[in-house]
Amino acid sequence: MINAVLVFNNNGQPRLTKFYTQLDTSVQQRLLSEIFTLVAARPSSSCNFLPLPPLLAPPQTSSTTTSPESNDAPSLVTYRHYATLYFIVISTSTESPLALLDLIQVYVEALDRLFENVCELDLIFNFETLHAVLAEMIVGGVVIETGLDKVVEGVRAQGRVAKRPINESRGGLSQGIWAGR
Amino acid sequence: MFEKDIYQLIRGLRSHKGNEREYIHESLRECRKEIKSQDMDQKATALMKLVYLEMFGHDMSWASFNVLEVMSSPKYIQKRVGYLAAVQSFRPDTEVLMLAENLLKKDLNSPDKVTIALPLGAIPHVINASMANSLLTDLLPRLAHSLPAIRKKTIVTLYRLALVYPETLRPAWPKIKDRLLDEHEDPSVTAAIVNVVCELGWRRPQDFLSLAPRLFELLTAGGNNWMAIKIIKLFSTLTPLEPRLVKKLLPPLTSIIKTTPAMSLLYECINGIIQGGIMEAAEGTTEGNEVARLCLSKLRAMLVVEGDPNLRYVALLAFAKITSSHAGLVSQHQDVILECIDDADISIRTHALDLVVDMINANNLQTVVERLLKQLRTAGKAPEAAADPTEDRGMHDGIVPMADEDDEEMQASIRPKEQKTAQAPPLPDDYRTSVIERILEMCSRETYGNMSDFEWYIGVLVDLVKQCPSSPASGSFGSLHTPVAKERPNVADAVGAELLNVAVRVKAVRPDAAAAAQNLLLFDRRQDFFPSAGSGGQGVLASAAFVAGEYASMLPDPEAVLTSLLHSSSTQLQASVLASYLQAIPKLFTVLTSDQQGQWTAARRSTTTLLIARIVHFLEPLTLHPNLDVQERAVEYLDLMRLASEAASNQQIDSEGGSYAEPPLLLTQAIPSLFSGMELNPVAPAALRKVPRPEELDLDAPINGNLQMLLQQADYDTDIDDASDEVYKFYHEKPSAVTTTSHQRPAAELREPPGASKRSSYQDAETEPLDREAAERKRAERRERYKDDPYYIDSERASGTSTPTPMHNILRSSNGEELDVDAIPVMELKLDSREVSDRERPAAPRPPSANNKKKPAKRHFEIAGDETLGGGDDTPASLLLSSRASKTASTSRSGGKKSLLEVDSSGLSALSLSDEGARNGGRQSQLDIERRQAEEEEMARAIREVERLRLEMQRAQERIRPRDMPEDGTVVRRKKRRVKVRSEVMDEEPADDGGGGGEEGAEVKKRRKKKKRRGEGSVADEKSVGEKAAGGDEEADVPVKTKRKKKRQVTFDDDDAV
Repeated sequence: MINAVLVFNNNGQPRLTKFYTQLDTSVQQRLLSEIFTLVAARPSSSCNFLPLPPLLAPPQTSSTTTSPESNDAPSLVTYRHYATLYFIVISTSTESPLALLDLIQVYVEALDRLFENVCELDLIFNFETLHAVLAEMIVGGVVIETGLDKVVEGVRAQGRVAKRPINESRGGLSQGIWAGR
Repeated sequence: MFEKDIYQLIRGLRSHKGNEREYIHESLRECRKEIKSQDMDQKATALMKLVYLEMFGHDMSWASFNVLEVMSSPKYIQKRVGYLAAVQSFRPDTEVLMLAENLLKKDLNSPDKVTIALPLGAIPHVINASMANSLLTDLLPRLAHSLPAIRKKTIVTLYRLALVYPETLRPAWPKIKDRLLDEHEDPSVTAAIVNVVCELGWRRPQDFLSLAPRLFELLTAGGNNWMAIKIIKLFSTLTPLEPRLVKKLLPPLTSIIKTTPAMSLLYECINGIIQGGIMEAAEGTTEGNEVARLCLSKLRAMLVVEGDPNLRYVALLAFAKITSSHAGLVSQHQDVILECIDDADISIRTHALDLVVDMINANNLQTVVERLLKQLRTAGKAPEAAADPTEDRGMHDGIVPMADEDDEEMQASIRPKEQKTAQAPPLPDDYRTSVIERILEMCSRETYGNMSDFEWYIGVLVDLVKQCPSSPASGSFGSLHTPVAKERPNVADAVGAELLNVAVRVKAVRPDAAAAAQNLLLFDRRQDFFPSAGSGGQGVLASAAFVAGEYASMLPDPEAVLTSLLHSSSTQLQASVLASYLQAIPKLFTVLTSDQQGQWTAARRSTTTLLIARIVHFLEPLTLHPNLDVQERAVEYLDLMRLASEAASNQQIDSEGGSYAEPPLLLTQAIPSLFSGMELNPVAPAALRKVPRPEELDLDAPINGNLQMLLQQADYDTDIDDASDEVYKFYHEKPSAVTTTSHQRPAAELREPPGASKRSSYQDAETEPLDREAAERKRAERRERYKDDPYYIDSERASGTSTPTPMHNILRSSNGEELDVDAIPVMELKLDSREVSDRERPAAPRPPSANNKKKPAKRHFEIAGDETLGGGDDTPASLLLSSRASKTASTSRSGGKKSLLEVDSSGLSALSLSDEGARNGGRQSQLDIERRQAEEEEMARAIREVERLRLEMQRAQERIRPRDMPEDGTVVRRKKRRVKVRSEVMDEEPADDGGGGGEEGAEVKKRRKKKKRRGEGSVADEKSVGEKAAGGDEEADVPVKTKRKKKRQVTFDDDDAV
């Protein structure tokens, strides 16, 4: 199952944190910064799988043995980097690594569909929508929907998705930048 | 004051760059005020802001009651904020959860579909066992909701319920299963169910075997790759239980592998085949061979594919899983795997490295190691090259700032995929360390079984020292007060240990090892090997110093080494290294000064005294070293050196007239003898444990009754010796009162060494033809000294002739012959046979490989194996170790040290989905069935019993009424009736079974209630089964607990009574 979904930007500032287990806020932050440290050190040419951060690392002795118990523990950190944002999924071994990469892609595409040419600012100001999209795809750590259309439809059913407030960006760059894409 | 909305908060944050903290605290203060407001809008806005700030680590647990308030708002928009806040901020210890229960129930039953979705999404985050119990009844009907979106969310929510409250599955599973089996179900709901089943599956695979046909159907129908992946994952846990599945699965899996365009599905097929043991199971059959070949060729293709590191990564993972069972198949692909060692991505390198270690053999060892070394060498320059500031994002410590300025960047659409800045990454230290460790592991495997060129290996080791990552404790380098505990073994120590190991085991390259040690130790070359102060390579110096000391005679330039050892900077080294230095110094000194043949000339005397003076100068400050080991050795050798100095200056030199002047015996004989002994041999870790205790050895019996007296006498005897020897004895000999006679006489009567014997070396002191008695005594004394040292195994003892020990001498001289010391049992180490076989072993296993034939000139190295006793293999030790390790592993796991983020599903393993079990007839479920049947049967009987009693009671009442009035008239209520039953039964069976009857009644009532709750679907048919079996089928009752049996007994008694 999926243990956590995180989104943060190139500077490590969180844009979405969703943990499917109850964790203290401080522990969440520590995990976040550990993963950011790991992910930021990777050149873009490397693969999209991270080693486990120290907080999640299993006890030394049982590293090689694969007992059934270990299926409960998170063992996979998958990430994808889009422009200014990192999307991270922490999961157990029952998830398929390559499928998780696709899942992140579906998530981003759904956001893109909802915001029309999504960018980080959209997500900053509409983090509630970020949560809503995620809730249509993953409930309690189990993937419930992977179809782009159904996800978008599910979010739209909850009401209008707000765009980012007008005149948000400084320097008058607002319209041109994303209109052209 | 006009309150901020969420946009304004975010905007404000962005504009307060530099003093975000202040701004946040200000905002939090406002939120605290606003959230208490009566206006629901304001409350919800404040909550939204808190949720946003919580993401940055600002605790909002104090607002949990307000969260609840907003959750209960009638407006959907506000309610949604409340639920989001609950999901993000509620923790297991949040107290308002109790209050939330009713709200959740209410919203679950809401007519509005978007409202229902809110609690469905939130419940998995906040659920606990008691809540699960009460929410279950409200959740179950949602499984039949008209909207697929609600149905699939309900299914997953029920799964999370089951994790904390396994009983959930009893009523829920039959319904979920029906949904899965329903062909007209919405495909996305089916996919969600498959996902849940996959999560449940690995816990109790036997319960899901019956679903195999339907899953198979879904797999072959195709269409949804996501679902297919999960089904394959599930099947890989089922196949070990049901071998017939293998045959069934092979064709569809093969065809998927051949045809699918989706890499993820392809990979999971291969993975499923590997993990499900399909490869082993189908081995030998044509399909099996074909699929194995197919898998490996696909994996190979994934490795060589350009530009997709992800595929390389997962392919290596798959290879790693195959390699344990099909090492041969994997090593066919070693060429591509070896390529991955040099991949730009460290994750891929690490996994490739793991694989390569398993594939190493005599032929490819050198190429692989050279390749790794090159990698280390070239990447060593990386840190300087990567001073590019854009690339060190990892240097950020923590995530503090929240304001961001680069808006243009943020407006960049996140659609375009990853940017490309290909650049060789600097190697992180832990990767470096693991590469070095792997190199050592590969080379030393099977006692250097793959090694064919030890000179090369020594070169590699020296090279590795340069590549050692700087130690993490570099800051504390040189601080003498570092506690010993902190000096954890690092990789440099391991390199040093290898150097030592080679030097000890392979005689042929000992001179090379000594030369390498010299290179490492020489001070003027230190910059080459240890570029920066505190470099991690320092650990190797301890071993190098030992090698240099132990094989000092082979050093190319012992004097230079000694000079380096005595350099003033040496005192700044780690305590363990320094201790090893201290041990090496006198050994080197011996080599330099103990020449027996040379004349004792003035020049020699002055060089000797000069050398001694330097050593003394070095040692003196170390006598105050904080490390006790260093201090002790410094004190010991300091005094030894002072003695030597005295001896050197007192010895007369050759005065003009050509007569031979002897060098001082202390220098030529006494001090060398301290360090000469048996040849050092590698000893198996378990050897000591295997030394058998002789049967006749009685450790409790006193060896000599009047030992005390003897010792006193011995003390007295030595008093006649002269003063200098007294001092010498004081320092040199063991503190025990046992005195030996070998050293105290300044062997003055020693004859001049006859002829040109070879250069003195403490390694072969025995060859020196001293006078026989002295040699004998010396050897005996040495044996005595090393008797307790596990590293010295005296082969002479095997001969059985116990040579006289010093103690023996004393006893003999003082007591005459009346004490037979030879009668004292001495344990015998029978080494001969073992030794021979060990010596021969290393030559044997090396196959006459093609490579060897090509290079016939290759030297043949003799590698000394571990010395051990008896059985030869040291299994006891390794077994002991491994069992201990596994024990700690298991305790650490069961001991509750579970991983962060982990959702514990172990509760599920106890629960059987019994209707499944009934069909499968698994042993476990069979038992369950029997137990349940027994229960049902008992229940039915009890009900009948109650009915009967009730009737009886009524009859009795009618009978009684005329005679004796009951307190409250007619019997209507069950409870009253029960009381009645008791009295009734008592009447009929006065003595023994009355109480039991009453209990029975209560028991039945409880049972009935429980049963009602247990649920609708499954019970019905089981009940009929139970009733069928009911007619007093005692055999079925055997596994039932005795307590229940006793009660049943009561029932039958009643029957009889009636």
